[in-house]
Amino acid sequence: MAKSAAFLMGILALAVVVGPLEAHHGRGNTYDMETELTLKGTVSEVSWRNPHVVIYIEAEDEDGNVVTWGFENAGVARLARLGYGRNTLKVGQEITVVVNPSAAGAPTAVVVEVILEDGSIIMSRRRGGNPLD
Amino acid sequence: MMSRLLNCVMVSALVLSFGLLSDVSGQEPASGDFDRRDFSGIYLLDDSVSEFASFGPDTRPQLTPRAMEIVRNRIPVPGTAARSHPLSPDVSYPHESNSPEYQCNPLGFPKILKNGEQVEFLMFPDRMLQVFQWEHRIRYIWLDGRELPSGENLDNLGPAWYGHSVGRWEGDTLVVNTVGVDERAWLDRPGHPRSLYGRIEERYRRVDSDAIELELTLYDPLNYTAPWPGAPKTFHRESPENYTFYGWPGLFSGVTESICAPMDEVDTYNEGFRNPGALGPGE
Repeated sequence: MAKSAAFLMGILALAVVVGPLEAHHGRGNTYDMETELTLKGTVSEVSWRNPHVVIYIEAEDEDGNVVTWGFENAGVARLARLGYGRNTLKVGQEITVVVNPSAAGAPTAVVVEVILEDGSIIMSRRRGGNPLD
Repeated sequence: MMSRLLNCVMVSALVLSFGLLSDVSGQEPASGDFDRRDFSGIYLLDDSVSEFASFGPDTRPQLTPRAMEIVRNRIPVPGTAARSHPLSPDVSYPHESNSPEYQCNPLGFPKILKNGEQVEFLMFPDRMLQVFQWEHRIRYIWLDGRELPSGENLDNLGPAWYGHSVGRWEGDTLVVNTVGVDERAWLDRPGHPRSLYGRIEERYRRVDSDAIELELTLYDPLNYTAPWPGAPKTFHRESPENYTFYGWPGLFSGVTESICAPMDEVDTYNEGFRNPGALGPGE
C-alpha cells in the first residue's frame, strides 16, 4: 500500500512567507520557520478542538519506524468559516503535509499546507487559508 | 396563579423582543437605508488591529512607577516584544509566558475585542449586549441612565473580568464607559496594566449599513501619565454564510464553538502538544 512508500521527508530550505506567528498563542521559537518538511502518511486522529485543531498522521522515518506527527492549524471557528470541518480529513486517509517542524526536534509542527491524493491543496497557511491565532 | 401568568407574559415578551431586535436571520437593511442607532447584527472586527493600541518605540505610553512594577512581573506572549515595554521580560517559548489566557482565564475587556472571532450586537431599549463567540461571553452595556460606578460604590461592586459598563447616546454615537475591570486581566498581550479605577471610553458609530467604527481611550492615572488612545477599530458585518453551518445559523454552532476549556487548552494543547514541541522530547 501507499504506506509502504509512505514517507518523504525533505527539508526544503525555502524562505517561507507565511505571515507572522504573533497572535493569541504567540509561538515564539517553538517552530523552525525557515524549514519546510514534507511528510507523507496516514491520518490517525483529527483533534477538532480549540485552541487549535491538531491533525495527527503516522509516517515512516528514514529507518522505517512509524512516527506519529502532530501538526497544528487554526482554531475551529476560523477553519469552519473557511469551509473545513471535522470530517475534511478522515482517519485512515493518506495525505501529504508540508509543515514547519518543532525547533526542538519533536514530532510536532505547524501546518503550511495539506496536499490530498488527487493533488489538490487545502488548509494552506501559505495562501492565507489557515491563519493561526 | 396570577404571578405565573404574569411571568409567562413577561417571558413571552422578552422572547418576542429578542427575536425582533436580533439579527440572526441575516436580514440586512438596504444600503443607505439604516438606523444609525441600531447596531444589531453579527460582526467581525478588522483583524489587522491590536487589542488596544499600536505604537512604536517613540510612541509608547508613559508608565507610572506602579505600572512599571506590574510590567516587570508580566511575561508577555512570545513575539510581542516589539509592542511590550522594555521592562517586560522577553521569552522564546509560549510556556515561559505567564499570560493568564494560556490557562483559559477570561481575556477581560478590551482584550476580548481582538480574537479573530465573531461578535453579535443585540440592542434593547435599556441595554446593549455584546455576545462574543470566543469564551461564549456576554458583555452588558447599560443604557438605562444609571451612573457609572465610582468611589465606594465601585469598591463595593468590586472587580469584574469585563467591568461595569454604562452607555449614552451623543447624537448617533454611542459612548460607553467601563470601569472596574479585574486587574488580573491584561490590557493586551504585551501585558500592559489597567487599574480597577481605570476608565475605558468607547465611541461606537455606525458608518454604513455594514460597518461600525470604534474609538477607545484609556484613562488610568494610576498606571499612565496621560490618557492613552487605542487604535481605531472597525466591525464589519458578517455574511450569513460565515455563520451558517449545516443549515444552523448563528454563533456557537458546535462547529464553531469557541469556549476555552482548560481540559482542551491546558491538558491537551499545552501539555500534550505545545510544550513537547518547544522543549523537545524527554525534557
